[in-house]
Amino acid sequence: MSEQPVQLPLPGFESARAEWRRDYDGQAGQDGILRNRSGIEIKPLYTCEDWGEERYMEDLSFPGQLPMTRGIYPSMHRGRTWTQRQLVGFGTPEDYNHRLKTILAAGGTAGSLIPCNSVYRGYDCDEVELPLLGTCGAVVNTVDDMDLCYRDIGVGELSTAVNDPLPFTLLALLLAVAKRRDVPWSRITGTSNQSDYISHFVANHMFFRIALPGSRRVLVDHVEFCQTHLPGWNPISVVGQHMQQGGATPAEAMALTLCTAIQYAEDCRTRGMDPDVFLPRFTFFFDISISFFEEIAKLRAGRRLWQRIVRERFGAKNPKAWRFKFHAQTSGVDLTRQQPLNNVARVAVQAIAGIFGGLQSLHTDAYDEVLSVPTEEAARIAIVPTEEAARIAIATQNILREEAHLTDVIDPLAGSYYLETLTNRMEEEIEATIARIDAAGGMFAAAEAGLPQDMIGKSARVFQEKVDSGQETIVGVNKYREAEEPTTAPRPLERPDQSAMEAHLARFRAFKAERSQAAVTAALDILARAANAAPGTPGQNVYEKVVEAAMAGVTHGELCACLRRELGFGQPLVMP
Amino acid sequence: MSDSTKSISPPPRVLVTKIGLDGHDRGSRIVAAYLRDAGMEVIYTAPWQKIEAVVKLAVEEDVDVIGVSSLATDHLLLPDLMAALGEAGFGHVKVVAGGIIPDGDEAELLRAGVSRVFHPGSPREDIVATVGDLATQARAACANG
Amino acid sequence: MTDRSAAAPASGKLLERLLDGEPAALAKAITLVENAGAQAAQVLAGIQSRLGHALVIGVTGPPGAGKSTLVSALVGELRRRGKSLGILAVDPSSPLSGGAILGDRIRMAEHACDPEVFVRSLATRGHVGGLSSAAARVVDLMDAAGKDVVIVETVGAGQSDVEVAQLVDVTVVVCAPGLGDEIQAIKAGILEIADVLVVNKADLPNAERTMAQLEGMLSLRDPGAAGVPVIATTATEGRGVAELSDAVEARAEALGGSVRAARTLAQIRLQIADSAAELLRRRLNDSDDEGLHALCRSVQRGELDLENAARRYLSDYLVNKA
Repeated sequence: MSEQPVQLPLPGFESARAEWRRDYDGQAGQDGILRNRSGIEIKPLYTCEDWGEERYMEDLSFPGQLPMTRGIYPSMHRGRTWTQRQLVGFGTPEDYNHRLKTILAAGGTAGSLIPCNSVYRGYDCDEVELPLLGTCGAVVNTVDDMDLCYRDIGVGELSTAVNDPLPFTLLALLLAVAKRRDVPWSRITGTSNQSDYISHFVANHMFFRIALPGSRRVLVDHVEFCQTHLPGWNPISVVGQHMQQGGATPAEAMALTLCTAIQYAEDCRTRGMDPDVFLPRFTFFFDISISFFEEIAKLRAGRRLWQRIVRERFGAKNPKAWRFKFHAQTSGVDLTRQQPLNNVARVAVQAIAGIFGGLQSLHTDAYDEVLSVPTEEAARIAIVPTEEAARIAIATQNILREEAHLTDVIDPLAGSYYLETLTNRMEEEIEATIARIDAAGGMFAAAEAGLPQDMIGKSARVFQEKVDSGQETIVGVNKYREAEEPTTAPRPLERPDQSAMEAHLARFRAFKAERSQAAVTAALDILARAANAAPGTPGQNVYEKVVEAAMAGVTHGELCACLRRELGFGQPLVMP
Repeated sequence: MSDSTKSISPPPRVLVTKIGLDGHDRGSRIVAAYLRDAGMEVIYTAPWQKIEAVVKLAVEEDVDVIGVSSLATDHLLLPDLMAALGEAGFGHVKVVAGGIIPDGDEAELLRAGVSRVFHPGSPREDIVATVGDLATQARAACANG
Repeated sequence: MTDRSAAAPASGKLLERLLDGEPAALAKAITLVENAGAQAAQVLAGIQSRLGHALVIGVTGPPGAGKSTLVSALVGELRRRGKSLGILAVDPSSPLSGGAILGDRIRMAEHACDPEVFVRSLATRGHVGGLSSAAARVVDLMDAAGKDVVIVETVGAGQSDVEVAQLVDVTVVVCAPGLGDEIQAIKAGILEIADVLVVNKADLPNAERTMAQLEGMLSLRDPGAAGVPVIATTATEGRGVAELSDAVEARAEALGGSVRAARTLAQIRLQIADSAAELLRRRLNDSDDEGLHALCRSVQRGELDLENAARRYLSDYLVNKA
């Protein structure tokens, strides 16, 4: 910090400003103002007039200290690097087992389990069209399937991010396998990805949907169960990625994510749980677009807001509760089918933004796997990346860390006039949206009324119109096109081996025929009764009954069907 | 606008839908709005429609064109849809697909009778003009059939 | 001209298939009527003797009240009671582009494959006062196709609801709690037409207050309104829907057969006027008459006012050439 306060206006400032205004003003935007994706005005130059060091302690402080702008840990990436988590899931349980072993052999310690779309939608493999099975993830329906996924692998030995929407049947099957193998549940570690049912309702219509009130209840039951039985498990991952991929601006996506987290925390507190105990287990998941500084500012502003929210709204005293832990994935929406190698450059820029934004875990997209689609699903191998593209995705992370030395210094952009001003402006923008949702009665009520759906749809259209009109450049798509358009190689989808899938179906039918039908019926009756009991009734935790049913041999599809019947099925709440 | 004092013919009726298991609807919502803004009547559904539901809907709403958005392999069911439309006597209805459809699969869909496959980056004008032309063709085919 | 000569046998066959209840024929007939094609008049004439079977229910109310979800739940209940259904969902056309997004099917997913449920979405296409005539004809077609119950769902927007109410047997007005302003809107417009009032989303706070408010307003209506029931529903969970069906059926019973069969001469005269206006509008639009173009140019040049242009058109061109 300087000894002498800077005199404002700076000498020569006015004449300099007059010069740049003459040169640059009125160049962009319909109103002559350049704006970022969140609608914030971007000036040609930032100086100490915009942000000064007198704000240092209030805005920034130090890493690991309030207000957390500079990172949630004291040493951040200099101390420990982020987790490189790539998604795995394809075909039969054997296919999954094979891929997981490959990753572990390469030195990986973190796994992920991406199930087939049929699983997401709450069905067993005998309930959907055969050609769709296993094309986008692994087909896992029974405790035997899960056992196969982990053949020769200790279920207590690796942390797994399970893409397991409500009612968390895959975790239940994993716990059933642990029981079978005598592994104590306290050793099961990982995260329930896709536990964020509100984001599914408002932005991503991928998942099995119990109607909103039932979803609300089952999530709280899940958190309660995990708190009691699974000390190493993160029951909630709040997914801003869905909102942004659906079309929300970066500021809206952050705001709606924070509102969703506030809703879940309130619901847990209403159930009588202690924020200082459940909040440290909250995790987040964000999309990183190519709007470089905006994304860095989004993540820094979000981190600063979260610590304030948990302290002011929930009275959190435990410093672990103040930490805004998040996984991030480079955005597939920005990648193009045209001139696909350009995507290598895009992914690198997105990844740098995420790193400077202080992420804890990172997925980089392969340049040919995700083409302008919601990434996390397409990464489930809608179009399988070539081996080379997958290698480049991982190499990008290694190059940025070890060749470019991006992690040598913590929060290296701090103090930039532009970035600090932008972080503050993004924070204001995010707070304004939070206020709108608060005024609508919170995220649950707003989602029921369709408010976030409308916001997201409108922003998606506004952005598309900018692309259509050429106001936003997409290289190779609306500018710098080549006469001859090279696209991805004409590869058809990688499809699972149909005979292996048919064998899997036969094995599934045999599993159902051989199990104790009486035990299955009894477990489903108990589950139905719990679902109809008032939320919070002692001994009627729905998720506990899901886990018990999984151990009794009930399948994924049967569990979903039971809850669909008892709690109602949620329809999408979205109009164009 | 021409100098004529006549109004335009009845608006094309287009079904915008998703079949199979995927639920991502950013693309289908935007395309629906494009078509509406081009003066078409768009029947818009929730994702995850069954083939038989799409056929029933196409019949009841008497649509000219069906647009199917697919982002996660659901386009593999399109040949089934084409066959089912034919069986229902609605073979004149034109079907277009859009989304993430690998080139290798595109040829297969065109062979099955899909009129056109759009990809990410397909210009708005192209989508609107193609759907409009196909609607005209569908009506002519229907009148002659 | 070739079209017209082909039309007669084609429409005859279409009529036969329609009366047999074939969905594709019903759909085509609706398109003809909507587009006022040459065959439409023949089809409509052909069904006259087959009308009056269906119970016609109108469902209206302000946006956000949950109409579509309620209609879907009501359809489920009526299906359990063995009824076949036709549903006509009306949405506004964009005044700028003329296009429309018809999204009522989003909430009808559970009936998507039920052959006994026929759904047709209709855009208003800029009809002014003509919505009721187009809708009335579609209702007649569904009736003639043998549907036991026809439900007409419209956006609550004042005047058009009143028009729709004239063509149905039982009008159900739906609102939701806590929408203070919308209650005012209901009071101002569509409360008067309600045969049955529904407070949907009854699980929300304020539901009881809204019920009490509505009952209060009803008591200010004419004495005939005393029997209008106010029913609480939670459509998403199916609560109150059986009671709603009972109330609708009781109301229909009390009417002793179809309201549409008991239309007054004054109402029929209004409907003929609507139809005539619609015919005239279409004829003007479709006309290539050079005299009409000349009239338009006169108005454009300011030589003639609209009122007199209309009169001259009626006397000089229409009557002579009708």
